[in-house]
Amino acid sequence: MTRLSAAGFPEAEVRARAREGARRAFPPLDEYGTTLLGGRGSAPVGGDPFDALRIVPPIFTPRRLEKLIELAREPLPSDVDLAVSIGGFRSSCPVYVSAFGSTRAAGDGLGAAVARQAGRLGLPLVIGENIVPVTGYGRLRRQDEASMLLDRIRAYAEDLPAGLGGVVVQQSTEDADAEVWNLVYSDPNVQSLADSGRLGFELKLGQGAKPGLGGMTVVDRATQARLGDAYAFDDLFATGSERVMRSGSPGTFTAEILRNQIRFMRNNYPRSRIWVKMPPVRDIREAAEVARTAGADAVTVDGGEGGSGWAPTAFIENVGLPLGECLVRVAWPSNPATTLLASGRMWEGTRAVKAFAMGAGAVGLGRAALLAADECGDAGLVRLVECLTFEMRLLISALGKYDVSQLDREDLWSAQPTGTEPAAATVATDGAGVG
Amino acid sequence: MDSTTFSMNRAELDLPSPVDHVRSPRTRAMVRVQNRMLDAAREFLRDESVTEIRPPIIGPVTDPGGRGAKQVDVDYYGRRYRLMTSAILYKQVTLTGFDAIYAIAPNVRLEPLETAVTHRHLAEFHQIDVEVAGASRDEVMLLAQRLVGHIVTRCLSDCQGELSELGRETAELSRALEPFDRMTHAEAVAALMDSGHPQDPGAEIDWQGEELLSSRAPRPFFVVDYPKGSRGFYDRESPSEPGLLRNFDLLAPGGYGELASGSEREYDYGRIVTRMRETGENPAKYGWYLEAARAGIPASAGFGIGLERLTRYVAGLPAVWQASLYPKVPGVFAP
Repeated sequence: MTRLSAAGFPEAEVRARAREGARRAFPPLDEYGTTLLGGRGSAPVGGDPFDALRIVPPIFTPRRLEKLIELAREPLPSDVDLAVSIGGFRSSCPVYVSAFGSTRAAGDGLGAAVARQAGRLGLPLVIGENIVPVTGYGRLRRQDEASMLLDRIRAYAEDLPAGLGGVVVQQSTEDADAEVWNLVYSDPNVQSLADSGRLGFELKLGQGAKPGLGGMTVVDRATQARLGDAYAFDDLFATGSERVMRSGSPGTFTAEILRNQIRFMRNNYPRSRIWVKMPPVRDIREAAEVARTAGADAVTVDGGEGGSGWAPTAFIENVGLPLGECLVRVAWPSNPATTLLASGRMWEGTRAVKAFAMGAGAVGLGRAALLAADECGDAGLVRLVECLTFEMRLLISALGKYDVSQLDREDLWSAQPTGTEPAAATVATDGAGVG
Repeated sequence: MDSTTFSMNRAELDLPSPVDHVRSPRTRAMVRVQNRMLDAAREFLRDESVTEIRPPIIGPVTDPGGRGAKQVDVDYYGRRYRLMTSAILYKQVTLTGFDAIYAIAPNVRLEPLETAVTHRHLAEFHQIDVEVAGASRDEVMLLAQRLVGHIVTRCLSDCQGELSELGRETAELSRALEPFDRMTHAEAVAALMDSGHPQDPGAEIDWQGEELLSSRAPRPFFVVDYPKGSRGFYDRESPSEPGLLRNFDLLAPGGYGELASGSEREYDYGRIVTRMRETGENPAKYGWYLEAARAGIPASAGFGIGLERLTRYVAGLPAVWQASLYPKVPGVFAP
């Protein structure tokens, strides 16, 4: 038979799907647990407004004059004060560590290594969903329990400086069956964090890598048997494969459901901070507003470039808004009681400073934190954050500002207006927040 | 960080040893009062044609409650079952076969550790749980008032010796025979704010706030209309005032605090599923209950009275653990 060819058409991919079926909707299985997925940021469909932005310092710097008067000498980058409040927690810098859940890439002690270093730095740490049902909690230890929630909390608390940081625990719809929040809230091991106001819970509405979908991981058949009917499983891989895909649901939300879930969390856990994580959805503005007015301490916007876990390739480059567009759409009040957080492909200073200028109070490290801890389990993350904060200080001081909250959209310039809301390039009056 | 090193212990809470507690004359008097209370409750409910049932101890799902209490998991032939935190789901479904029911049953809730010092929390306790098909909130509130009144009447007449031994001021107790007062949650919040106590208007009255309100009251009183977002999915949302629940708490005077919670119930299948989502629950785990609701469960209203809390109030005990022979104060490792 003559083999057809189709130049200009993704023939290889079509042929691969013809051979492999639905499992080809995902990256190759041998990348699972070893490759951090998520957007490459190279050329996502539609582009990322962040990439079109430049950070634009001025000559006239009234804030620098204020600092000069305060210091009685010319201010330096090292005078930039990076200490902030992040969703109710004090942090040494406007950085927190994003959640990575039960995905295998965070297993084998890597999750605990990240937690330990985040604690040493005094950065808030979010611990992902699905860990308890999938790998257990760690109090009444079973032999097959690997990277457990309690291990990560313990590792985090080991070198945590007094008064800094906080641990935030997610709970998915399926986690609700395991009562993860109730378990943590009533656990004697967590009381010192709770007593010092450093415990939080994060309601996860979705994630950057796969908005509209719930959590997905690949598990072996023994784990599938143990998880029983707590999750849905898809037999995607080769016939006789030892592995199956576990899927969570994204959960059903309306404005009323979201509002009441947040209120119920505040009601049930009065000693805990409440965070809400949003996927990069088109109604991000309304959803973030509901969360803010319902009393969330932080609202995280996870851009379409985010994600450390398993996701269908269709979603990674094509589904969800880029982070920059999310921040353009979210109109955040100045000096808010609720911190706006941004995550998605964060690792260096310019992207972070652009996010601050667009209203974010802090940025989350996801894949970067995992890679850094993988590079050096003792200090990789510490050194990454050291470099990141050094860069932040250079950039912020170049703008004539010495505090993250002073950054504004006036600090950014874009060649082309983006989005449906006022463009990021809009020039503001000095120091005023622009919605 | 070993859970066995948790600092809250018997000595800190001034708890006696189990043997000292069981053989103390005060404990013995308490048990006699409690027995009379239970006799009186059964007597009253029987005369009201309310049928006593014995609800399950374990099930695939139980009352998710609120305020962060953890359920106790039980390995039931490899499936995760739960010890009952309340009989609410079974009460509603049982009304498909009975008009009015009650149960006197143990419940277990692993309450947050800060409740160890409230004097009114036990991880293991009993409820007098009542549910009436077709009843309104006002009807079951009146029923609760009459039930408490009947119990107090019987104890005042039959347990004079015990109450005197326990030092209970009976003139104060007899005010439970007067009609109970009523305030809305919003009024309770306003009263607390006026007296300088910060109270979240969207949440439950906190422990201190509840004690404050209770200590000022001359007689038992109801707090009604809690905001949605402060209670479980089964408390019915008011059709005429969305955002408010058709529920109530019954509080004792004298700082004793909450005795009972009750409500009209959600019974429409679609409403129940929606309310489950609003309280963050996963409907999938409530399969048997939702199947019953889809087939149709009757409208109802009911309440649960905490037996140990009511005993504490009737007997005038300083702390609720004194109303249990083997008290489980949250977080304290006790037999």
